[in-house]
Amino acid sequence: MSALIRFRFNGAEIAAQPGQTVAAALLAAGVRTLGRNPVDGRPTGMFCAMGICQECVVVIDGRRVEACRVVARAGIDVRAG
Amino acid sequence: MSDFDLVVIGAGLMGCASALRAAEGGMRVAILERGAIGSGASGVNAGTLSLQIKRVGLIPYAMKGHEWWAKAGDAVGFQQTGGLTLAFNEREAKLLTERMGLKIAAGAPIELISSNAALAREPGLTRRIVAASWCPADGFASSNRTGTYLRSLLSAAGVALHEYTPAQNIERTDRGFTVDTTVGRFGCRRLLLATGAWTKQILAMLGLDMPIRVRVNTVAVLERGPRTVGSVIGHATGLLTLKQKSDGTVLIGGGWQGRGTPASGRGEVVADTLLNNLRLARFVVPGLASFRLLRSWTGFEANVPDFTPLAGALPGIPDAYVLTCVRGGYTIGPYIGRLMGDLILGREPEMKLFDPGRFADAAVVASD
Amino acid sequence: MTGTYDVIVLGAGPAGASAAIEADRLGLRVLVVDEQEDAGGQFWRMPGPKAARAHAEPDGNDLRARLRASGVTSSFGRRAWFIEPGFRISMIGPDGIEEGTASALILATGAQERHIPVPGWTLPGVFGLAAATVLLKAQGVLPGRRVTVAGVGPLLFLVATAVLKAGGEVAAIVDVNSRRDWLGHSRGLLSRPDLALRGASWLAQVRARRVPVLTRHAVRRILGTNTVEAVEAGPVDAAWTPIRGGARRIECDALCIGFGLIPLTDASRLLGASHRFDPTLGGWVVDVDRDQKTSVQRLYACGDGAGILGAAAAPLRGRIAVLAAARDLGRLPTSSFEVQARPLRAALSRSAHFGAAMTALSAPRPGLTNLISPETTVCRCESVRRAELDAAIAEGAVTINDLKSATRCGMGPCGGKICEEAAAMLIAERTGSAREHIGTATARPPLRPIALDPLLGEFNYDALPIPDLAPL
Repeated sequence: MSALIRFRFNGAEIAAQPGQTVAAALLAAGVRTLGRNPVDGRPTGMFCAMGICQECVVVIDGRRVEACRVVARAGIDVRAG
Repeated sequence: MSDFDLVVIGAGLMGCASALRAAEGGMRVAILERGAIGSGASGVNAGTLSLQIKRVGLIPYAMKGHEWWAKAGDAVGFQQTGGLTLAFNEREAKLLTERMGLKIAAGAPIELISSNAALAREPGLTRRIVAASWCPADGFASSNRTGTYLRSLLSAAGVALHEYTPAQNIERTDRGFTVDTTVGRFGCRRLLLATGAWTKQILAMLGLDMPIRVRVNTVAVLERGPRTVGSVIGHATGLLTLKQKSDGTVLIGGGWQGRGTPASGRGEVVADTLLNNLRLARFVVPGLASFRLLRSWTGFEANVPDFTPLAGALPGIPDAYVLTCVRGGYTIGPYIGRLMGDLILGREPEMKLFDPGRFADAAVVASD
Repeated sequence: MTGTYDVIVLGAGPAGASAAIEADRLGLRVLVVDEQEDAGGQFWRMPGPKAARAHAEPDGNDLRARLRASGVTSSFGRRAWFIEPGFRISMIGPDGIEEGTASALILATGAQERHIPVPGWTLPGVFGLAAATVLLKAQGVLPGRRVTVAGVGPLLFLVATAVLKAGGEVAAIVDVNSRRDWLGHSRGLLSRPDLALRGASWLAQVRARRVPVLTRHAVRRILGTNTVEAVEAGPVDAAWTPIRGGARRIECDALCIGFGLIPLTDASRLLGASHRFDPTLGGWVVDVDRDQKTSVQRLYACGDGAGILGAAAAPLRGRIAVLAAARDLGRLPTSSFEVQARPLRAALSRSAHFGAAMTALSAPRPGLTNLISPETTVCRCESVRRAELDAAIAEGAVTINDLKSATRCGMGPCGGKICEEAAAMLIAERTGSAREHIGTATARPPLRPIALDPLLGEFNYDALPIPDLAPL
């Protein structure tokens, strides 16, 4: 079995299967809230899983991107969107 | 057939402001709009309300226009943030100083300030500012809210609004005019064309032609992000407007050209000009690099060769008027429309209008 | 990097990848572009983690293998953001901007889910049904430990059995259709005996595990503070209008809910192709003739993006589109085109039966809007509630664009993709207008959100071509 990919979400270490997206890995780790809606502040998380709804947007390397589209890489620093 | 004192064709800021004034003066008014109210330039521009980008001769009109926007307030998302105009090299600095000097002389509350003062006011700007000016009266509104707001004003004033009602034919009668539409014929004593980029088509119905050209201006919206600037940001050449609204979204404009004609309905964004517009914005506000582009579009802006409004009686056709080609029309529309309403009511407008008759030679009057 | 091709295919799902392979077979220079890391689209999505690979659809693996073996240039992980007519596609890839130009463009952009907002649907832990298939089959992740599955169509059973297989519990299946509705489409279902058999197997698995199946029921509310804790489901009538009483609370920690598929028409609308509203094809769909040609010259559309007919029909339409493009480019004699297209058309009319039946089963019924309470958020991005939309409609908003201007509904990052269907259904309900008059949001580039940094690249201020000065 391949080694797990380890990255950080808001400082906490998360393990991903190689090839898993950041959003899926977070879900598997029990993390569903990936950000806050900028208008009403409600918690937001993955919804459509195909890069359309924008509810899973997180910040990686200072850039906003859909977590369901990004394959987890070792050492990336992911912040809530 | 319905009968009115005044029929206005075109329900943008120009047409609605004129209609409201005429109704206030006791006229029975109908507005015919081919699409949705405020869906032309009035609804798709970048929302900038800046004296600094106005033509010198139109500054007094723009200052009056600002008063209307301030009163409209929350209904249109009006914010008086103040505005900066920036220069990034010697040539631009000279341009800025010259142009703002003339605008100050015309009465605009603009002051030339140092680049340090500009940076102190807006630390989110690039350090490469060479010269700057500041106007506390500048700000913006949300252009997409124009239509809804205008609709409420028309309703309160008893003006009959007919959306999705394109004018198909205009005839002159002994009582004025008849306008044929898909929902029937409208008769009126006086007629106002406030049709913006579509004016040439409508003038043709009256057998007229004028040298109206249409520019295809690009606007872009960036997703909400951290606060970068609070003031409206402009460029010495007039070719950048940038504002970050209170909700964090960023609107970028400046008149970069897309492609298309009003006859084809919509204009198209041209990727290369959009990218250069965005590059200019990103240069001026480096923090925008991490923002995401959400959408871009174009809007048509009509002008005549002297970039001065067409505002007044149509040459050779009694009781017919035109109001269009106002550069800075978003700011100025509500006021110049009021002046037009006064003219149509038979009053003397408190500021002069701009006689379309100056193009009488170019206008072709076909015999009936 | 800019490449020039005979044909570009946008989307590497069942339709797009098949189209690209066909183009290569015909000797055309072809580029296929997809945002994902490999071909397969949503239906045959390439599993990411190895553990999930056991679940991969054999058809998908076959498609990927054939694509790899072909001469097609594949640009994966590229997000197309702009398409210039004639055609030039601008994309963002891992190394920045890339472009491809071609004389012919084939759109194979697929479908998205139809979402009906219900109170609580914005809670984390609520996923689409199609989303759930991605999670389970392509990512090897359970949506939750005890999952409620709700909405319409075969995805209900696909997802439920996938949850069971992955070791989760299914709290209930909540289906707005009745058994009779399903049986009413039995002819369509049986036109694909293999798929019908698979469906029957799903049913059997669900029964064996005693999963409650609530037919003629809908989820009315989703409960929880920060995530899903339970859902409330109740009966609906034949128009799918909630019936008073009979509501029950279902304890669960995730909800997978979806109401059928809608073609993704953003690219076709951006290019100015004509569209029509056709409920039998999922709603708004680009107009194509039997050669899959749109109203725009050298622009073709295939797959679910050109009408929801399912994964079996998709490769056939993709291949027909490419044959037509080759003929129109003068690279394939008309007689050869006819000979090669004929069997594809015959297969298409057979395989489209199943997809059409599924789409009919999923077609929204007017009662669904009653699930949307005034306080329910309809536009998630901009947090616009139904009450605000109703007020705007009452004040004169009659089209989607009107509603957008009045309320910001559809102005957020998703571009109205998630909320437009529900917003249109609300306008239709209130005004009685046909969907044709309600329209769609004006298509505006970029096709998807793009960060400025990679988009703008390196540039020099002094080199910016600043146009003529504004008049003084």
